[in-house]
Amino acid sequence: MNHESQLKKVLSQGEFAVTAECGPPKGADPDVILKKGELLKGSVDGVNVTDNQTAIVRMSSLAACSLLKTAGLDPVLQMVVRDRNRISLQSDILGASALGIRNVLCLSGDHQIFGNQPQAVGVFDLDSIQFVQVVKGMRDDGVITGGDSLDHKPDMFIGAAANPFADPLNFRIVRLAKKIKAGADFIQTQCIYNLDRFESWLSMAADRGLTEKAYILGGVTPLKSAGMARYMKNRVAGMDIPDDVIKRMEGVPKEKQREEGINICVETVSRLKELPDVKGVHIMAIEWEEAVGEIVKQAGLHPRPLQDKG
Amino acid sequence: MALFYCQNVPESREADRQALEEACGETMALFPMPCSGRVEPVHLLRALEEFADAAYVITCPQGACRNFEGNSRAMKRMERTKSIIESIGLERERVGLIVCSKENPKSLAALAQEILEDISSLGPSPALGPVGGN
Amino acid sequence: MITGEQKPVEEIRQMIAPYKRILVLGCGSCVAECSAGGEKETAMLASALRMAARMNNEDVTIEEMTLDRQCVMQFVIQLDKVIDPYDAVLSLGCGAGVQAVAEMYPEVPIIPGLNTEFLGETKAQGEWAETCLGCGDCMLYHFGGICPLARCSKQILNGPCGGSVDGRCEVNPDIPCAWQLIIDRLDKFGGLDRLEDIYPPKDWSKKQGGGPRKIIREDQQK
Repeated sequence: MNHESQLKKVLSQGEFAVTAECGPPKGADPDVILKKGELLKGSVDGVNVTDNQTAIVRMSSLAACSLLKTAGLDPVLQMVVRDRNRISLQSDILGASALGIRNVLCLSGDHQIFGNQPQAVGVFDLDSIQFVQVVKGMRDDGVITGGDSLDHKPDMFIGAAANPFADPLNFRIVRLAKKIKAGADFIQTQCIYNLDRFESWLSMAADRGLTEKAYILGGVTPLKSAGMARYMKNRVAGMDIPDDVIKRMEGVPKEKQREEGINICVETVSRLKELPDVKGVHIMAIEWEEAVGEIVKQAGLHPRPLQDKG
Repeated sequence: MALFYCQNVPESREADRQALEEACGETMALFPMPCSGRVEPVHLLRALEEFADAAYVITCPQGACRNFEGNSRAMKRMERTKSIIESIGLERERVGLIVCSKENPKSLAALAQEILEDISSLGPSPALGPVGGN
Repeated sequence: MITGEQKPVEEIRQMIAPYKRILVLGCGSCVAECSAGGEKETAMLASALRMAARMNNEDVTIEEMTLDRQCVMQFVIQLDKVIDPYDAVLSLGCGAGVQAVAEMYPEVPIIPGLNTEFLGETKAQGEWAETCLGCGDCMLYHFGGICPLARCSKQILNGPCGGSVDGRCEVNPDIPCAWQLIIDRLDKFGGLDRLEDIYPPKDWSKKQGGGPRKIIREDQQK
């Protein structure tokens, strides 16, 4: 089996990369994740596997990544610092590397109060930036927190998230710089609907030389309905959906809204492709993996450069 | 009944109090307060515990408090007192608060009479136990 | 200050049910400041419990007393003179107070009447907020005097996260975003460059490394 990061390879070759998100099931059936993987195969370079997203108990990201790896995809292991302390996080990095998983996305995680385990302790022993730094130390220096050496370094392409739309605005770039300084090789952003604001964030990042130091992948999410658009705008923290996007969704009949959602998404991807500082897209089609192939095709990103070698 | 009242309430001078006490006899214990904001839940609870079937507060009109917030504070404390007595199984109506009206001011005696009528359906308080006993 | 809130009367009644002579014991320090276990609240609770007992025909004696401090031995020993007749003490001290009284009187059951909450400050009348974790390694210098461990819902030392909106926390809009506060404050005295550094993982051994913590000061000892 190929134990190189396909995502890293695509990006380092200067190709416009495509990743997609894949949520593990609320159950133990491996076929659910394998079916999702099948839908994505050939359309993407890497598959992000969420880690108990929205603090709801699901099949572990590590196990699901391993299943996808076996099925020939290149998984991006999402890891949140909410549920594990530094002992467990580092241990899972070693385990993931041993299983041939080559990409990790280091995240804070949604607060436990939002999920189905509001009585759980929130660990938050490391924050996401510290976690990036720890993984980099393990990979590059073979050292864990506290200074002990590893007898075999893990191999990981390290990612972090960025939200160009969150408050306080004047500090988003400082935080991005810290993530990259900590060791992030690639950055996947929050869903982009407000391209103007994204572009101004991007140019601020470029001014600080950050777009040269890490690959920026713009996040997109196809809207399923006008209701979903309104919900995300009003209820999801740090989400910026301009009114004209919502109006556009409302302007088509219900049965056409999914199609319109894909159209908007394709337009966004096409515009992101034109930005030299954007090196790829990350498609988060929430419980709608079928949409990914469609978006990739319509945006002219098919076929993927390394798909036959997966 | 125990009745705590703000001395800003009309016709609530010492002479009015004495007259009212004579008229009501044992049915009413009157406690003039410089400001209703001074009434604490513990005063009302002690009254209920020791002798009263009900404990009420009369405040001066909204916005007329000499101490600015005394009467609104009294209202919040009344809510707390109600929740405490409710938690031990007493009727919430055994404590209460009347705000004296600015437009239609009534005398202390008239207000006291109204409260007595309001609570007449409550009957003896189970928190007091048999007369003379404990 | 250590803050607390009174437990529901129903829960307290269940805990004291086996006892006939109960001392409700207030504490005049922190929990008086936060209106949970001071003299007033002790009198209130005792009165309510007596009424409840009477309404249920329970033959119990409930009396009250408030110490200046329940967590300091020199104050707790004032109970020596009065504790004999009681077969239980319902303490309205914080968890430390409850345990100090229990330690002093091993033969008397001590029942907690409060839920101890947090280390915090009185923000306004009737409003208390958590501001300190007691982590054993104060980092406030770095963060403009605002603690991200105690006041950021995700304890982020390299914040802010991507979830705050208009300076409010994503967990609850009633919570001000600690990182917004830190940035605003550092900005006022030109300290924002401090936040370019990556703060390393917290040394939690100062809080929980050796089990329960203890401070020994020989110069203060007898």
